[in-house]
Order: sequence, then C-alpha cells, then structure tokens
Amino acid sequence: MTSATSALLIAAGSLWLVAAGTGAFGTRRPAVPAAGVFSALGGAAAIAGGVAILIDAHRSSASLAGNGVVGTLSLRIDPLAGVFIGLLGVVAVGTGLYTPRYHHPESGTALYLIIYNLALVSCLGVLVAGNLVTFLVAWETMALLSYLLILRHQFDTAAVNGAFWFFALSEAGFALIISAFVILATKTGTTDFSAIAARSAHVPAGWRSAAFLLAFVGFGFKAGIVPLHVWLPYAHPVAPADGSALLSGLIVKLGVFGIALFGFELLGPGPTWWGLVVMITGASTAVIGILYALNEHDIKTFLAYSTIENVGIIVTALGAGLVFQAAGHPELGAFMLLAALFHSVTHGASKTLLFLEAGIVEHATGTRDMDRLGGLVRRLPRGAVCSFIGTLGIAALPPFAGFASEWLIFQGLFQGFRIPSHVDAILVVVAGAALGLTGGLAIAAFTRAFGIPYLGMPRTQAAATATEAGQPIIGPGVLALTIAALGIGAPAVAVALGRAVQTTTGFDLRPHLLVSKLTVIPAHTNFSAFSPTYLAAFLIAVSIVPVLIYFAGRPRGKQATVPVWDGGIVTFKPRMQYSAMTFSAPTRVTFNRLYRPTVHLARASDEPAGRSGPVHFEISSSPLFERFLYRPVICAIQWLSAFVRPIQSGDVNIYLLYVLLAVVVAYLVAAV
Amino acid sequence: MPEPSVRALPAPPAFDPCQLSRSLAEQLELICPSGALSVAGPMLRYDVGACTACGRCQQLAGAAVRSSGLIELATADRGHLVKQIPILGDPDG
Amino acid sequence: MAEPHAITTASELRSTVQRQFGRSLFIRTIDTGSCAVCESEIRLLSAPHYDLNRLGFFFTPAPRHADLLMVTGPAIRAMDIAVAKTYAAIPEPKIVVAVGSCALGGVYEADEFVHGSVEQILPVDVWIPGCPPSPVALLHGLLIAVGRLAEKAENAHFTFTPRGRA
Repeated sequence: MTSATSALLIAAGSLWLVAAGTGAFGTRRPAVPAAGVFSALGGAAAIAGGVAILIDAHRSSASLAGNGVVGTLSLRIDPLAGVFIGLLGVVAVGTGLYTPRYHHPESGTALYLIIYNLALVSCLGVLVAGNLVTFLVAWETMALLSYLLILRHQFDTAAVNGAFWFFALSEAGFALIISAFVILATKTGTTDFSAIAARSAHVPAGWRSAAFLLAFVGFGFKAGIVPLHVWLPYAHPVAPADGSALLSGLIVKLGVFGIALFGFELLGPGPTWWGLVVMITGASTAVIGILYALNEHDIKTFLAYSTIENVGIIVTALGAGLVFQAAGHPELGAFMLLAALFHSVTHGASKTLLFLEAGIVEHATGTRDMDRLGGLVRRLPRGAVCSFIGTLGIAALPPFAGFASEWLIFQGLFQGFRIPSHVDAILVVVAGAALGLTGGLAIAAFTRAFGIPYLGMPRTQAAATATEAGQPIIGPGVLALTIAALGIGAPAVAVALGRAVQTTTGFDLRPHLLVSKLTVIPAHTNFSAFSPTYLAAFLIAVSIVPVLIYFAGRPRGKQATVPVWDGGIVTFKPRMQYSAMTFSAPTRVTFNRLYRPTVHLARASDEPAGRSGPVHFEISSSPLFERFLYRPVICAIQWLSAFVRPIQSGDVNIYLLYVLLAVVVAYLVAAV
Repeated sequence: MPEPSVRALPAPPAFDPCQLSRSLAEQLELICPSGALSVAGPMLRYDVGACTACGRCQQLAGAAVRSSGLIELATADRGHLVKQIPILGDPDG
Repeated sequence: MAEPHAITTASELRSTVQRQFGRSLFIRTIDTGSCAVCESEIRLLSAPHYDLNRLGFFFTPAPRHADLLMVTGPAIRAMDIAVAKTYAAIPEPKIVVAVGSCALGGVYEADEFVHGSVEQILPVDVWIPGCPPSPVALLHGLLIAVGRLAEKAENAHFTFTPRGRA
C-alpha cells in the first residue's frame, strides 16, 4: 500500500514537472494543450494518491539526502495532508483541462505554465514534508512561485500592486511560521514532525502557547484570516483565472493545513483559550468577509472575499474542535476537524470552478464588472450551468457539496451545550449564530453574483455579443460533476475523512459518524441526522411530480399563448434592472459603520436631474484595515528604518571600518 | 332606493319635444361641448352616453330642458343610450 | 355580453357569467387618459358606504387575476400598447366595462392623439355613462355586467311633458 501511495505521489509530481517542461515550449501550437493535459493527469494521480493515503490511514516517512548544517530532507505521508493532496489533485485536474482553451500561445505563456506546474509541485512538497527544513523550503518555494503567478501581466500596475501585497504578507507570515517552528524544534530537540508531536507534551505550556499563537498568525496570513486577509482582494483579480483558482482553491487551504497541523497534531492537547481565540477570529472573519463581498462588483474581488468568508468558516470549525477537545469531548473535537476538512475540500472545488468561470466571462466579454454584464445565460449557456452549480456548491444549497460540509459544521457548533463550562458553551453557540448570519448573507451575495451577470438583459454591448465558441468547458464540467458527487456521496467522503481525523487526533470517529450507511450523524445519535443521498433522490422526485401533474391535469381545451405580463411597459431597457450595487444597498445601509462608503458623484452640468447629461456615480468602501492597521505599521517601520539608514552611508571607507570592527569583535569573542 | 343626496346629483337632461323648435335644436347642438346633441332630420339625436351633465343646454332653454334625475344608466347595448327626440315645437319658436 | 367563445347562446352566456362571476369578481381598472375623477368614483366603491367587497367584487392590479376590465378615458393613442397588453393578459372569460362619458365617445373627437372612445380599441360589454358616474351608477353597471340586475336605460325616454317627468 505504502509503495503504491508513494508511487502515485511521485507520479503526480513527475507529471507536473513534465507539464512544466512541455509548457516551456509555450509558443508552439501543441505545447499549451499538452501542458494542460499533463497537468490534469498529474492532478488525477494526486487525487488517487490522496484517496490511497486516506484508505491506508497511517503515517510513514522517508528521509532523503541532507547534511549536518541544513538537516535532512524528510518526506512524510500523513492522512491529514492526504486530504489536501486530494484537493490539490482536484484543482489541478480542473485547471489542467481548462488550460488548453484559456491560455493562448503568446509571450509570457510559456513562463507562466512552467511556474504554474512548479507551483503545483511545491504545494505537493509542502504537503509531504516530514520535517522542519523540508516544510519551510517547500513553503517558501510555493510562496515565491505564487507571487510570480500573480505577476503574469507584469506591466499592469494593479497586478504589480496585488502581487506585492501577496508577497509582503506572505513573508510576514513566513517569519512568524519560522519562529513557531524554531521554538518547537529547540524545545523538543528535534525537527521531525512525528518526533515533535510525540515530545511536545513535555514542552512548557508557555512556550507551547507562544508557538501556537505564532503559528496561528503566521499561517493566518496565508489562510486569509481577518485582519491578515488584505492581500486576497488585491491579488485575486489580477492573476489569470487558473492562478486565482489555485490561490483560492488550494493555497489558502495550506494555511488552514498549517493551523490544523499545529493545533491538532504537533502541539498536542492545549488549553481551551487556544480554541476560543481561533474560533472567535474565524467567526469574525466569516462575517466580515461576506459583508465586504456584498460590496464588490468586480467578480473576482467578490470571489476573493467569499474565500475569506469560507476560510473563516473553516477556521471557526477548527477552533471549535480545539475547544471541544479541551472540554473533554474528543468525539466532537474530531468531528469538528472532520467538518473543517470537508469544508476545505468542497470550498476548494466550488471556488476553483467559480474562478474558472469568471475567467471565461472575462475572456468572452472583456470585463469582470458585474454591472457591465447581464443575460449571459443565453450567450454562455454551458458556462452558466457550470457557474450555477458552483454557486449552489458555495452557497451551501442541497444536494451539492457545500450543503453537506456546512451542515456538519453547524451541527457540531450547535452541540456546544455539551461543554461543561457555560461561557465556553455560549461562545461556541454564538459562533454558530455568526456562521448562520454569514450563511444568510452568502445566499444574498451569491444570488447577486449569479443573477446580475447571468440573468436579465445585457447591460452593455460586450455582454450582448459574448460568445461561447472556443471557451473551456471540460475543466469546469469535471469540477461541476465533482461538486455534485461530493454532495450526494457525502457519507462516503465523511468516512474517508474520518480516517484522516483518526490518525491526527487519535479518536476513531467512524462508529459515531454513520447510521445505516447513508445517513450521517454528528458524533452523537441523539442530536440530528441527515442523508444527502436520500435528500438528492427526494429532491429529484419532488421536482418531477409537479411536471407530471401539469401534463396529466392541464385543460384539454383551446389554449391561448400570450406574452408574459410585464406591466404594460412599451420597451424594456437594461437600465431598468437591478445593478450589483443597488442589490446590496440594504446591506450597505445596515452595516454603514463597517463600510464607511465614499460616494463620488459627478454631473455633466447643473441642470436638474434628467436633463443634466451623463451622471457618474461611484460608491466604494473605505479600506479600513489598510488605513488603521497596515499603514501605521508600515509608517513605524519606515520611521525606524530612517534611523538605521545612516549606517548605509555609501562610503567604502566606513564599510571597511565595519569589517575591521567585526573582525576585532570576532577575535574577542573567540578568545573569551 | 338611493338616499336623498343621490337625487341631487347631476344627471343627463330630459327634453320636452313640444317645446323644441328646429332653431332651438340647432342652438342646443352648437352649445353642447360634448357632442351629445345633433340634429338629424326631424329628430334631435341625443347621445346620453356622451352627455357630461354640464347644464349648458338647460341654461340655454330652461323651458324645454330639465334634469332627468336618472343616474343608473349602464347598459349592455350602446344603442340604448342614443335617443331620438322628435322636434315638435313651433318652427318660429 | 361579449362575443361568445365557447358558449353558444346568449342565455348560456348569462348563466355562465352569473355562475362564474356572480359571487366573486376581480376588477382591474385602466386609465386611458382620463382626468382621474372617474377613478376617484371607482375608488369610492371600496369605501364603507358603498362597500364593493360585500358583493364579492374586488380590485386587483394583476390582470392575470382579473375577470373584468374597467376602462376610463378617451383611449389616447399613447396607451395603445399598454391597453392591448393588459387586455391580452386577462384570461377568458373576461368582461370589458367602459366608464364615463369620455370612454363612451363624448367630450373628445378622434384625432392624432386620441381614438375618442374605448370602443375603437377594445370590445366593450357594458357602458356606464356619467361625468363622472357616481358610485351608485358604477355599482349598477357592475351588477348588470354579472347579470344580477336588469338595465334601465333601454326603457328610459328622456322626454317629459311640462307637468311631469318621463
């Protein structure tokens, strides 16, 4: 088994390297499709590898070369990472099949394809890393390659800005991650993950908490937890569609993976307040993320904020899991970890699909602005179907994937009453309420995100003349099927994830997870149950019945066909429709204090409304976090740097003086 | 039975054929702002449906015209609202 | 009544209308350029004094739910499309009632802006004259429309002898 698993993972990595190599010939005709196909094959191998790891459900590691200074390079097969390897495979399959029709052989494509596939390899490296050095090297490689991915359109100011935000915050997080790992390594005396996990119980509580917080914030930069999320809305819109899909679908999940790794495995059981901090931060992230999403009319920025919201949901689940574990309910702790992993997978698949569809829309119409689109369901029918399935998956509507995972999270949170401490119990349930709020807002947000661009009348000529010819369809189609399969087959997925959870937390959840093969219960039989398979069958049956009634019972007599009643309007104009910003106006009014919107209104003349000529109206929310958190930090650093700058005087003689001083000090230290 | 106030509502006029002379009928046709009255041969064609009960015809010829007091005049046949009033008055009157 | 579609004799039509509409009728009003006084009188029908609802008649804005279309105004040409769409949206069987002198052809002659009477654009079933018709007259017209009252205009002569009324 293990050798088969390793073989699959090696195959995945090799296929991606081959894809990178093929992509290097990017300007030749067959190169781009070939690279895409190899990438997808690698993804398939990764999915198989991930599933094999979950079926196998035990850890194993292997050491590779190394030396005394750097340490050994060690790889590890771990079921927790196996879940994310499977997700990586799903993303790779989707984007790989999407590549042939999305990327055209032009300048920059070759480099992009190389970097993209190497990024896939580096993500795989992060997930199979077995010790500190391997992990950090793979992590930084992944960050660097993602930065280059975002810079695809390197001459675009917005792209440079977005890539810079991504990299700056990634490095900030990296520093904190290194600190956390170093604390653990020095206190336990080893750099191997399994050994750290075994010995971490002996580390003093203060150091463990410090390591946990450093890891939480450090991985939080990557995951996109508020207030560390600022890079997401800048980076996602400017990257190509498959780059954004990789970022949102997988790379932020690597941050989640890191938090789960530290919280559930490396550090061992911790105090309740760890879980409370994580949970409260996650719940706030979810609410803030979806609120900002409602204010965006650029499709990709909207999806970026939706990623922040879903990461908040996942992190809330992780935090609640830690709380349950510390409160003496290991079954619920394991269950919340399972729910968090499930949601990571379903969100990864749905968000990848949505980003790929956003890319199709951008290529077909030339714009990402919802207020310039409309009626795309007629122009891009297959894309609309895929986008709709992705929307259902994310908005957590049955029988698709998101419903199963969010149901699990909610059922876990609502069992907070089992915690003995009243305060903790209330906080867990309040987190559930906050997630309920985000669920409602998410439905509004995604109704808007699907309805405004796809339904109604086209608002511009570009939307009216969009065409589906030459747009990718296989990649999004495969992802749509995956989302449906994950939803309907949720019991099977839950069982598979249960194996991963068992290895990580040591608690065997499988007896507490299923009743009669197709019904899932949230770790306790007396709370609730649901069967996504039966639900899907029921929904299909319920949909058919009205159709049958209509055909059986409709009047046999003469029927007149008349147009739909439209109020007697003479002609419909696209401007009569809702726009994206008016749809979300109630939210903007309610949450005025968060958005602090700035309104820009310009009229061509001072004539009364209707005769004043073109009116330009723009409303945007204030960048609160940049202004109140990042700008002060940046200014402080620049102020400090100003003090240090005199050292770099540029005078060679001074530099030689520095060298002399350094040699003298070294001798003194050696002598002493 | 409608209450007393209803009887005070404006209603289309009724004519006394004996007091209608041809010249009076032509004057009535000219003064009606609604086109309800027209002289057609020996008859005064009176379209009750077009009448707005403005009272000008009664003001002009109070002896020949008075309010009919009828307000419930709905009908399913438009022709029932077009009355032919014979002009029987003295040609010189 | 309106031209029968699936109903063959006048008596059958009357009984159908009485059966279908006699107890509950939904009215949709449309203004084809009136001065809105007819609308005021129509609105008064819902007031407690006349209380249309006790007779089973209700107003609805949705033509799909309507049985009876009440038209006021002299049928200005600008409302052609709206009136046509509204009329088409009302399912069969439907009744059209023209309300007010303008709608019956008085006041305005046909010219480039106006048809002059509602008959030009719709098949009218019941005419209610008046300027405006008081709610009593409107009620009378509605009850005629559903066959619950007999009309009086047919037998009114509008002549008098100096000593009495006609």
